Amino acid sequence: MTRGYRLAAFALCLAAPVPALSHAALVTAETATAIRLQAGYDTGDPMAHAQVRIYAPDDPARPWGQGVTDREGGFEFIPDPLPGRWSVQVRQAGHGAMAYVEVGAAGPVSLSTATRPDRVQQAVMVALVAWGALGTALFALRKRGRGDASS
Amino acid sequence: MHLPDGIVPVSMALAGYGASAALAGLALARIRALPDPQGQVPRAAMLTAVFFAASLVAVPVPPASVHLLLAGLMGVLLGWFAVPAILVGLFLQAVLFGHGGITTLGLNAVILGLPALMAHAVWRLAGRRWPDLAGFVAGAGAVLAVLALFVAIVLAGLPVALDPGAERMALGALVLAHLPLALAEGMIVLAVLRLLRRMEPRLLPHG
Repeated sequence: MTRGYRLAAFALCLAAPVPALSHAALVTAETATAIRLQAGYDTGDPMAHAQVRIYAPDDPARPWGQGVTDREGGFEFIPDPLPGRWSVQVRQAGHGAMAYVEVGAAGPVSLSTATRPDRVQQAVMVALVAWGALGTALFALRKRGRGDASS
Repeated sequence: MHLPDGIVPVSMALAGYGASAALAGLALARIRALPDPQGQVPRAAMLTAVFFAASLVAVPVPPASVHLLLAGLMGVLLGWFAVPAILVGLFLQAVLFGHGGITTLGLNAVILGLPALMAHAVWRLAGRRWPDLAGFVAGAGAVLAVLALFVAIVLAGLPVALDPGAERMALGALVLAHLPLALAEGMIVLAVLRLLRRMEPRLLPHG
């Protein structure tokens, strides 16, 4: 009897690893270059929970991936090793912007986004436009005054 | 409150250019028919500069930045001149500040130009009898009309890939955030008209 049990136990030991293998967790790790975005309004507020659409270089019409920004307007993704220009659109309530990420064949990633003008630049632009408007106004007044004088 | 590039499909952007061209053509024809078309150019030029700078006056109300629109003020003070003034102001905003886009310039001109003309109509109809009320309604109503047009155009141009529920929620929050702005712009138009009445009644727009 005991011999029979030992045989059965041996047989079980042989059989057991096969189903147990299907439950084994296999983890492979590798490093990858992720792209991190920061989306915000030009007032400085983050674009929280905005919708993100990622377009791969080979298909600008259909989204390669999608997601939602976190509370600080941040978003991360790992692109396929496909060289070219990846486009990322972040939009919320009709507001939004595109960012373009250049993924090179060698791997390094260069990020290109539009910079927003600072307060001084904005003040200069407003002053220039106001100057132009004032010039237009004075020009029209002068023409008018001349017309009145000749008539 | 400006549609940036890449938000709406190209066909809608083209339609916006067509609509704004028709609007500008109509406005210019009306201006030419005025007895003194040159007379309002100085005022239109100065208000274009005010309109251009107004988009920088931002009030941070999540989820979006709320900034002054001034469509009502432009309409009441300029009448048909408001359409070319808004077009020029929007173009400068898009090029210099990145507010709005070049492809969506036509749509944005319609979004702001039509409410400006509505404000003008309100002022013409009721401005003489109830100047304060007409000024406030023109200013506040223009903001609400801009909101309605903006939301309608965004919803009409939603891409398939976008989650429509989330976008609708965000648009609802945007409308709520702009309601105080409607009150504020109504008060601005009222205050400017009162100031003009007291300081320089000849500058008051009438019809």
